[in-house]
Amino acid sequence: MASLTYDEGTIRVDGEVSVPLPGVERDPRSESGRAPAYRYAQLRDALRPLAADVRDDVLDLVDVSELHSSYDLREYQRDALDAWEESDRRGVLELPTGSGKTVIAIGAIERLATPTLVVVPTIDLLNQWRGELEAEFDVPVGQLGGGEQRVEPVTVATYDSAYLRADELGDRFGLLVFDEVHHLGGEGYRDIARLMAAPARLGLTATFERPDGAHEAIEELVGPLVYDLEVDDLAGDHLAPYDIKRIEVSLGPEERARYDEAQGIFTDYLRESDIQLRSGSDYQELVKRSGTDPKAREALLAKQHAREIVANADAKVETLSDILDRHAEDRIIVFTAYTDLVYRLSERFLLPAITNETGTTERSQILDRFREGDYSRVVTANVLDEGVDVPDANVAVVLSGSGSQREFTQRLGRVLRPKEDGGRALLYEVVSEETSEERVAARRR
Amino acid sequence: MLTKELLRVSRRGGGYHPQFVGDDAEARDLAARVLGVYQGHVGETRGDLDSALDELEAEFAFKLVRGFAKLLDRETAFETRAPLDPERTRRLVFECAESVSVATDADRREALDRAAERMRVPTDGIEQSLYADREVQQVLVNFDSRWTPETLCEQYDLSLAQTALFDATEVCVRSSDPATLVSTVKRLRLLYEIRRTDQGREVVVTGPDALFRRSRRYGTRFARLLRTVASASEWTLEATIDDRNTERTLRLDESDVSVPGVEPVTEMTFDSGVEADFAARFQSLDLDWSLVREPEPLAAGEHVVIPDFAFDWNHGEFRVFFEVMGFWTPEYVAKKLSRFGDLEDVAFLVAVDESLGVGEEVEALTDGAIPYSGTVRVKDVVDALREYEADLLTEARASLPDELRPDDDVISLADLADEHGVSEQTLDSVAFPDHEIVGRTLVRPAVLDTVAETIEAGQSLDAVESTLAGEDLSDTSAVLSRLGYRVEWEGLGGGVLKKKD
Repeated sequence: MASLTYDEGTIRVDGEVSVPLPGVERDPRSESGRAPAYRYAQLRDALRPLAADVRDDVLDLVDVSELHSSYDLREYQRDALDAWEESDRRGVLELPTGSGKTVIAIGAIERLATPTLVVVPTIDLLNQWRGELEAEFDVPVGQLGGGEQRVEPVTVATYDSAYLRADELGDRFGLLVFDEVHHLGGEGYRDIARLMAAPARLGLTATFERPDGAHEAIEELVGPLVYDLEVDDLAGDHLAPYDIKRIEVSLGPEERARYDEAQGIFTDYLRESDIQLRSGSDYQELVKRSGTDPKAREALLAKQHAREIVANADAKVETLSDILDRHAEDRIIVFTAYTDLVYRLSERFLLPAITNETGTTERSQILDRFREGDYSRVVTANVLDEGVDVPDANVAVVLSGSGSQREFTQRLGRVLRPKEDGGRALLYEVVSEETSEERVAARRR
Repeated sequence: MLTKELLRVSRRGGGYHPQFVGDDAEARDLAARVLGVYQGHVGETRGDLDSALDELEAEFAFKLVRGFAKLLDRETAFETRAPLDPERTRRLVFECAESVSVATDADRREALDRAAERMRVPTDGIEQSLYADREVQQVLVNFDSRWTPETLCEQYDLSLAQTALFDATEVCVRSSDPATLVSTVKRLRLLYEIRRTDQGREVVVTGPDALFRRSRRYGTRFARLLRTVASASEWTLEATIDDRNTERTLRLDESDVSVPGVEPVTEMTFDSGVEADFAARFQSLDLDWSLVREPEPLAAGEHVVIPDFAFDWNHGEFRVFFEVMGFWTPEYVAKKLSRFGDLEDVAFLVAVDESLGVGEEVEALTDGAIPYSGTVRVKDVVDALREYEADLLTEARASLPDELRPDDDVISLADLADEHGVSEQTLDSVAFPDHEIVGRTLVRPAVLDTVAETIEAGQSLDAVESTLAGEDLSDTSAVLSRLGYRVEWEGLGGGVLKKKD
């Protein structure tokens, strides 16, 4: 008689078995056999012929047969789900944004009627998924992350929280759903899939291939790509066209003086210590040096200060005042990377603000009110990231440093919608005039 | 524990050395200043406190300043101070702003006035409350620190070492308190195995998944384990660190890190009166064995046995483990017996309470069972040890040649036995062709001849003794007797040498 138990992220095999067991190694520490938990489905299959002689206590699942959903899946959603089921309920679906990935996952949870853990990359997605699951299944939905640690048969977790608790919760779920599954390629996050025993695994993503080849690891842990759908396949749902306006502002005389001072400290240090900044790695070297060299640290702090002066330039605030005035009838999202600037703008223009300091309740309340039209403006640090249902806006304002962040503006462009009267969406980029470092250095000499 | 970016570590010589402050005077002064900054900011905002700390950071090693601050933050209470509830105020203000569509300063004023009107408060109160709950706006209301500059430094070193362990993939520990170590390892859901090394057995601690891949995921548990390890009076810890994919070794012991407020127990402690009583009586005898309390953990299959005592043979490397098995529940007895069955191959004696009735089973599983009732009789234990002694003597004798020719002109049998790592008794059957045995000392005949020529009847004992001392002879009476003299005592004063009759 052999027995299988779950032990902290591994499957422990006690007793002798007459068939070879995939992934099982001898563990002298416990004088037993042991395999990583993700091999459980294979192990179970290998042991099936001996069922009578094996006691399988790996999973500890709560009964959730009452999970029913009212969604009627669209044809491609059903196809995707069928393909996943045919692949032994392991695999990745590659679907473009807006194709209803959540709905497919809800379909999978309903079909399997088993406790499920949904893993998501951001707090915003955490709130969004939890809301949808609660609305759909009418059961309490657990949450791990965003200040809460509550486990229920259906639970949503951030990748970070799931990583921390994987070996403790690995026997409690029959199905794992990984939203934005490409994140699972990260070295640490792989542990989530490795240490949990759930036999069924579903990955969702818009971009499965990773340049670092980590998608191969995902294949082993979650399953192969079983279905993919191109944007063009989704008829009638295309992205809004938008225009970009770039506004350059200058520093005021007092800002200029403070900027020159700070920038001067930085460039002087570079000259004195004969450092040239040609690439990102040169800069990394400087950061490393600042850990032990107080002068390097002073220089870096000065550089940071100079950047803040540029980012916070008063002229930007004035420009925003003009834009808000011009677009009194529009729906506007204001972005800036600096949390302090978010609050300065919020206090100055009385705009609802969302940053990493904003609590979960207030955050979803602001987004809801924006969605429903109670608010028509919102200011935020760059936290409305991939995959989140950003409420429709037709004007976006990005207050950046002196350069533009192309990737970010492109992504932002995608969330913009045309106005109901057909007016094109508009994206403002407010930047500071090029502040030449050479010129500053020359003046100080 | 600190956050990882506050780790101060030197990789000098390929090692991994946390930069402990120890009792460095400058660090202690800095600790005092950081404490002062916190005390001085009661009633002020987090933002002001942070700027004051920033100033110290510019002046001193900033990671050290932040490390101290991190530890003090835990004892600091902040609270939101505002006339109105900030979250509610914001909701109302944003609603009013929506209806005004704020762009200019005048718009702003109007929106705030509307909000003030609806809440029936002055506009100022609205402005003060808007973001009063942001962390930087919160007020330091209470700072109740249990640290002095000295203990803050001590805690810093412990936290620093814990932080270094975040990146550990495996930890090996030797401890004077293995029982607590093993129970903490279990509580932290880690696994251990016993590894034998030249310095004795050590406990190797890893996580379940470590069998398949080197992982840092147990790092925080290793860090928590350090508290237990460092509470023992003597310990060493060796950790394998995954330092950005380079493997490095971190070594710590009781001289690096201690736990503030915890006095390590250095005297023997006992689980039961039977054990304490036995230890006291055993130590009062002068035997060839030394008693060691909770010596080291022994592997017993997937478990571990930590014997109550060990007896170390004074004349070489040999250790007999000893367990006192008192009366307990049947489950306890069954568990003990199963552990003995799995025990690694070591010399192991068990004193068994006769009322348990398992003497025979124990006898079969170990080297021997010593029955007792009430108290363990030392004599029974000494008898059991004698059996090892006989073997040890035979073994030691076998390692010696039949003849020994030491280089020294004069050497005691005790010293010679030590040199060979055997007991004095072992030398009984060895021949010494170059020496004569005088008392318990080997002496070259030439030395005896020289002495015989120098001393004569009528000399004072003092003079004779100094002559003998010149030849390294300390056993005066044996030498004198061998040379045919005796000492005639004069009252209470010194003696005089006489020829033996």
